[in-house]
Amino acid sequence: MSRRGAFISKYSSYLMLLPGLMLCILFLIMPFGLMIIISLHEKLSAAKMILSGFTFENYAKFFARSVSYTLLANTLGNSLLACAICFVVGYPFAYFLTFYVKNEKIKSYVISLLIVPFLIDWSVRMIAWIPILGEGGIINYFLMSLKIIQKPIKILFSLTSLQILWLQTYVLFMMFPIYLALNRIDPDLIDAARVLKAPPYRVFYDVIFKLSLPGVICGWIFVFVGTLGDHITPLFIGGGIQTLGLSVADYAGAFLWPYAAALSTILVVVAMAVLYILLKIVNIKELIYER
Amino acid sequence: MNVKTALAKTYIVIVILFIYLPVFFLVLLSFKSGASVTFPIREITLDWYIAEPSAYRHGSEWVSVMYDKRFFEAFINSTDVSTASALLTCFIVTATALALRHRVRGRDLLFYLILLGFIVPGVTLGLGIVFLYRWLGWEFSFWTPVITNVIYATPFGLVLLMARFEPKLMEYERAASTLKASPWKVFRHVTLSLIIWEVVSAGLYGFVLAWSEVVRTQFVMRGAGVLSTYILTELGVRALTPKWYAVGTIVSTISIVALLIFGWVLSRRTAVKR
Repeated sequence: MSRRGAFISKYSSYLMLLPGLMLCILFLIMPFGLMIIISLHEKLSAAKMILSGFTFENYAKFFARSVSYTLLANTLGNSLLACAICFVVGYPFAYFLTFYVKNEKIKSYVISLLIVPFLIDWSVRMIAWIPILGEGGIINYFLMSLKIIQKPIKILFSLTSLQILWLQTYVLFMMFPIYLALNRIDPDLIDAARVLKAPPYRVFYDVIFKLSLPGVICGWIFVFVGTLGDHITPLFIGGGIQTLGLSVADYAGAFLWPYAAALSTILVVVAMAVLYILLKIVNIKELIYER
Repeated sequence: MNVKTALAKTYIVIVILFIYLPVFFLVLLSFKSGASVTFPIREITLDWYIAEPSAYRHGSEWVSVMYDKRFFEAFINSTDVSTASALLTCFIVTATALALRHRVRGRDLLFYLILLGFIVPGVTLGLGIVFLYRWLGWEFSFWTPVITNVIYATPFGLVLLMARFEPKLMEYERAASTLKASPWKVFRHVTLSLIIWEVVSAGLYGFVLAWSEVVRTQFVMRGAGVLSTYILTELGVRALTPKWYAVGTIVSTISIVALLIFGWVLSRRTAVKR
């Protein structure tokens, strides 16, 4: 290519980056910047956006309460537990789909089948579980008509139902990157390990699992951020479980803007810290554009 | 070996059934007669879909989906918002993905910045946009949920597009410009014709994401809101009857149809390639 052509293509690249960049600056960086500023103030008159009283009080208040630590532990614990459950269910699925289903067409059908329930509206998906898990739901109905239990057992509105819902919603986010990573493994490597008489568990752990690690991390990230930012599911189905995301929505709903902003900032910092640790293990860019 | 394969396939089927469990019960309950959503189901009815509002047959006050004005209002809003989100996502994703192929300065930074739209917790993004609008003195408009959805959909679309680019795309472009095609012609006849299906699928992705998103949209809705916020608020104040399962069935059918088109587009893309 001529030098002029190269210049034009470089120049137009910058131009083409502009819409995405502007979108990010205006609607991602600025809201977050504002949030930090608001969280550092005592009062915000909601109507006119007038801030008054610079203070660290909001953060001090959060860290002074012992409830806050339970809240943080709950939030992190729930999200990490969801990741772990999705991983335990999702990894074998991706593994079996990659190595035991030979027909490429069936593979792509299975993948597209998985996306469908994810398209169902959030609140609709929640009410859809009520006739399954509820006191008058199918599970209790069966158990009672078989006389296994006398009184309906309480599954709905508890940690169990929250995790079941999260599993159903987010397991796809775990399976998909793992599936992609498994598909990228060179079959010759696996054969080589087998030919060299590696025991099956070492073929799996040292070759297959280690090479699929970028996908695993990617899946953990997706499920983690998804559940961390989801305050609707715990609100509806969690049965009074408090999470940080839920608190943000509560305080924002009560117009306690600065405190909600402070909680929100803490939530982002927590998310970033966990992501930083996960990204230390694997380079996410490798999955996308530096193959 | 055969036993292993059979077990593996059984596992796959069980997981798929688990994921579809709520879908099945959603459709089933939408035909249930009687206001409660408990088992057993004794009678099947279409009342929740089409009965006239005067009917007072199921022991509580309700309006069937067909006669629910606010449902249709929200439905139209949802269609508009999702279509606008789809088009905007399409445009931004295509421009960004094409530009990111070149080693421009700050590429990694921008890539991470865009990914942030997915990573920032939904609550935070929703609240942040509320703050932004207040601060700028803007009213919530049609475009607020659209922008919120685009921020959320762009990272998905970008990854989708970049992962599926034709490997030799840049070589073809270079060949065309060596043959003195103008930059616009290169874009129109080479680049776009090679990536058009990926672009369309990114747009459909934006549509579907905007159609079902509620965590972020909930903060920025106005008026009757979109379908997801309409259902959420109505469920907060009304009794849970099979009507909401009927609403859910209708809403879900639409996004599933959109997904079928998506699948068709992707399969077409592979067909063209071969």
